[in-house]
Amino acid sequence: MDECAPVNAAGVLLRDVSYVVGETRILDDVSVHFRPGRFNVVLGPNGAGKSTLLRVATGLASPTNGAVTYDGEPLAAFGAQRLARTRAVLSQHVELAFPLPVADVAMMGRYPHYARVPTSRDREIVDAALALVGMTERAAQPYSTLSGGEQQKVQLARVLSQIWTDDLDAAGQSSRFLFLDEPTSSLDVHYQLHLLDVARGLLEGRCTVVAILHDLNVAFRYGDQFVILESGRVAWNGERADEIPLPVLERVFRVKARRVGSADDDGPLLQFTL
Amino acid sequence: MPGDAARVTSSARHSDASALLLLAALLVVALVVSCAVGAFTFSPARMASYLAQAMGLTSPSETDALGRNVFLQLRLPRVLLSALTGAVLGVSGTIMQGLFRNPIVEPGLAGTSAGAALGASLVFVLGGGTSALSAPLGSLAVPLMAFAGAFGATMLVYRVSSTFGKVNVFTLLLAGIAVNAVCGAGTGFLSYIARDPQARNITFWNLGTFTTADWRGVLVVAVSFVVCFVLTLRDAKALNALMLGEDEAALLGMNPQRLIIRLLVLNTIMVATATAMVGVIAFVGLVVPHVLRMVKSSDYGFLLPGSALLGALMMVVVDVVARLIIPPAELPVGIITAVVGAPVFLWILLRQQRRGSAGYYG
Repeated sequence: MDECAPVNAAGVLLRDVSYVVGETRILDDVSVHFRPGRFNVVLGPNGAGKSTLLRVATGLASPTNGAVTYDGEPLAAFGAQRLARTRAVLSQHVELAFPLPVADVAMMGRYPHYARVPTSRDREIVDAALALVGMTERAAQPYSTLSGGEQQKVQLARVLSQIWTDDLDAAGQSSRFLFLDEPTSSLDVHYQLHLLDVARGLLEGRCTVVAILHDLNVAFRYGDQFVILESGRVAWNGERADEIPLPVLERVFRVKARRVGSADDDGPLLQFTL
Repeated sequence: MPGDAARVTSSARHSDASALLLLAALLVVALVVSCAVGAFTFSPARMASYLAQAMGLTSPSETDALGRNVFLQLRLPRVLLSALTGAVLGVSGTIMQGLFRNPIVEPGLAGTSAGAALGASLVFVLGGGTSALSAPLGSLAVPLMAFAGAFGATMLVYRVSSTFGKVNVFTLLLAGIAVNAVCGAGTGFLSYIARDPQARNITFWNLGTFTTADWRGVLVVAVSFVVCFVLTLRDAKALNALMLGEDEAALLGMNPQRLIIRLLVLNTIMVATATAMVGVIAFVGLVVPHVLRMVKSSDYGFLLPGSALLGALMMVVVDVVARLIIPPAELPVGIITAVVGAPVFLWILLRQQRRGSAGYYG
């Protein structure tokens, strides 16, 4: 399926992407297609190249070989500002070097959209984004006084403000791309589920969501396309978590896996042992 | 209907504007007081009449030529130069803290000032001494060499202390010590081999003074400050985004590498020009943004103009103290800024250590 993805494919397409540092091939001829309206999940053990894949897919790094396209347009052809208006990345943990109120941090997501002073529209969007993540009451509070989970919610609000979708048809662009880089790794289970629910909600706006997730069971529950990386190569790529062969999981993650209970609507539940 | 965030951002901007107005008003008062006091004391009415005479509004009175000359040729340029230097140092501290993403950086610690002093003293000693300054090319040579020295020293400290886009505080401090020591040794050597009149010119650089202020110096520093400050203001948003880290700033459409080089160049031009005129004045660039962050906000849209005003205000006040504290002699201003600034520096360092490098100020 991905082998025959058209050149002008909607969503994010990586074609024969390699990323080489010195002698090391961190990504080795990777071709994947992240479709719009899907929750695309990238899985893999530490050092498999997930973060590099994300850096290349978001334009932070240029691939040594191969190309990245958004809706068929080469990433390299996007101007920095246009790219910043259509694609946003929620990182694992963002520390703020100096104290700022929560509202100011979220407003940074609008930086690519206004020149010097935010418009009332920018403020409305930041309000809506803060409301969406449940941080409205904290708007005036210093970011540094929040808990780790609350800080990550504010970062999500910032990232959502950056690619906020309801004024897009006027601009003639409907595509938005959201990348999540292990967004939940420092969060407790409540914040994990809340954050991923918010991200899933964006799919209705036909946003392309690409997430690196560590917890396989959480990934199976939220994802509807899966890319498993192993040593810089795609080990498995498919749409149904219950079709992932257990031997592949066991080899890639170096664990023993067994299914617990039956595969219900929430996806299969796996138990891992060494 | 505006929500909470809208209320927060707009009310914050409103109170930022009133804080800037307050600082500007205090600066005007300080400027007037600083013009009035010293070995000669001038009443506001006399100062106003001197100004009117200088602008040709009234004819000069022959009876008071000495007072007028003291005011117009010594006092006024000195006060203006102190204000401009303070503005340069305040803004410079703000820029450097933003670029290094750390509140302990300032031109005196990161080698910028010492590098500028070394570059300038090279011209003074090897370029024919003070006579070179009066030549048209000589007046350019000093700021140019000061810039070269300052830029080299700052880039060296930045490169040594930053790996993978992150600045290590301790490496930064140590690199700053080393670069300052080398530049200080160079300046010291030059003052050692220099004949007497040049040597006097060099030693003042290590403590800073406004006694040599003249209109030419005011003009040079004013032009470099205004140009660099206006260009820096356009990057206020980018400096804010840089608080999140270089990658996050890049994801918001900025180019962090180019931003850092551009701002370091602008910053170095300002500091080098001011240092070439008045010498090394430490800790102003450290204390000014720190005070503003603590009492108001870390938003660079506010910090940049705020640190220009507060820096100018502080420097003018320090200069008044330097003139009044041991009359008829006067103290080098660098001694006062160090006595006030060094404890603040230690206090910030302690707080940072206690809280980890991220959340200071609470």
